Amino acid sequence: MQDAVFNELADLALKGSGQAIPKSKAYLIEARLAAIARREGFGSMDDLVHCLKSRANPVFAAEVAAALVSKDTSFFRERDTLKRIVEDVLPQRLKASNTGRLKIWFAGGSTGQEAYSLAIELEDELPAALRGAKIEVLSTDICKVSSERARIGCYGHYEVQKGLSIHRLTKHFTRLETGQWEVSEALKARVSFRQHNLLESAAGLGKFDVIVCRNVLSGMARPAKTRVIENLAAQLVPGGMILLGQGEGLIGLTDKLEPARDFRGAWVAAGTANAAASAA
Amino acid sequence: MKTCLIVDDSRVVRKVAARIIQDLKFNVTEAGDGAEALTACRTEMPDAVLLDWNMPVMNGLDFLRALRREEGGKKPLVVFCSIENDAEHISEAIRSGADEFIMKPFDADILESKFAEVGLV
Repeated sequence: MQDAVFNELADLALKGSGQAIPKSKAYLIEARLAAIARREGFGSMDDLVHCLKSRANPVFAAEVAAALVSKDTSFFRERDTLKRIVEDVLPQRLKASNTGRLKIWFAGGSTGQEAYSLAIELEDELPAALRGAKIEVLSTDICKVSSERARIGCYGHYEVQKGLSIHRLTKHFTRLETGQWEVSEALKARVSFRQHNLLESAAGLGKFDVIVCRNVLSGMARPAKTRVIENLAAQLVPGGMILLGQGEGLIGLTDKLEPARDFRGAWVAAGTANAAASAA
Repeated sequence: MKTCLIVDDSRVVRKVAARIIQDLKFNVTEAGDGAEALTACRTEMPDAVLLDWNMPVMNGLDFLRALRREEGGKKPLVVFCSIENDAEHISEAIRSGADEFIMKPFDADILESKFAEVGLV
């Protein structure tokens, strides 16, 4: 890929989704844009960039930027965190909130596996403390195609064999004629999906008790990380928590959040960590 | 080191599986059908068995049922592996004593994920 073409696309990714794509990963650009290029009939990345520059089409530009974001995900990825959410975080939040309702948001949830994994865990391993609680799960992704795939809830041979035991697969999925596996209606009823760009305000999505944002910030440029994390922080209910992926931290990125005292890897509004600990 | 017996009538599949499972830090042995596998188990029970369904002489299901009746035959964790992946075949395998089920074709990630599900890695 020519430097000029790479620079155009890397710049588009940075502005559109906050992604910082280093030159050493130019191959990712070609791989992630292949489907769009094929659909639009572009013979090369040059043609695609030429089209982006010559016809100012913000919808197409946003689609290209969304396609450049990693879609890597799997069922029960970082399953210890998921278990902790169900066994510790949610019961604690439920006790503190007093409403009998909990709202959880998977920010950057790709094709829905994380949200469905939580729904499975809630079906199979619901702790007594959560019985009777109304638990709403939302998953959003910048990519419209991914959000749509998540909503449809059909997964391929390889996807359903990573992270799911055969017991869970046969219990919660139905095999289709096509060889794909479809999530049960019971799980679908627990989860909703929307397209949303984390660089934008999430005020329209409402407030959440728990926000899970894993493996999203790590690919972003520094200013974008701050913007995203502050957008997320603005949607926390008082005492609410943000959970990041393994090895992801916020040190030096924002003064709006601080580490939760009793949950490693969780963040709460600045100045409230001690209060949250004593409430628990 | 844990041991894994790979049972498949295809030499190519055994070879591919062996390489992946060795990477998961197992000592690997191979058998070309259920009867060979049963003989191997009578000599030494492995910790894990990766088991194909359709094989000549003795198929995977018959081997599994026989294995579970052997002395010490409940010990190995058996991961069935088949292209027959409809609900009936899967539940028949589980009823007959399989601990996990892999739908063919598989890759290293799937094998590792399924071994993790039953606590082998």
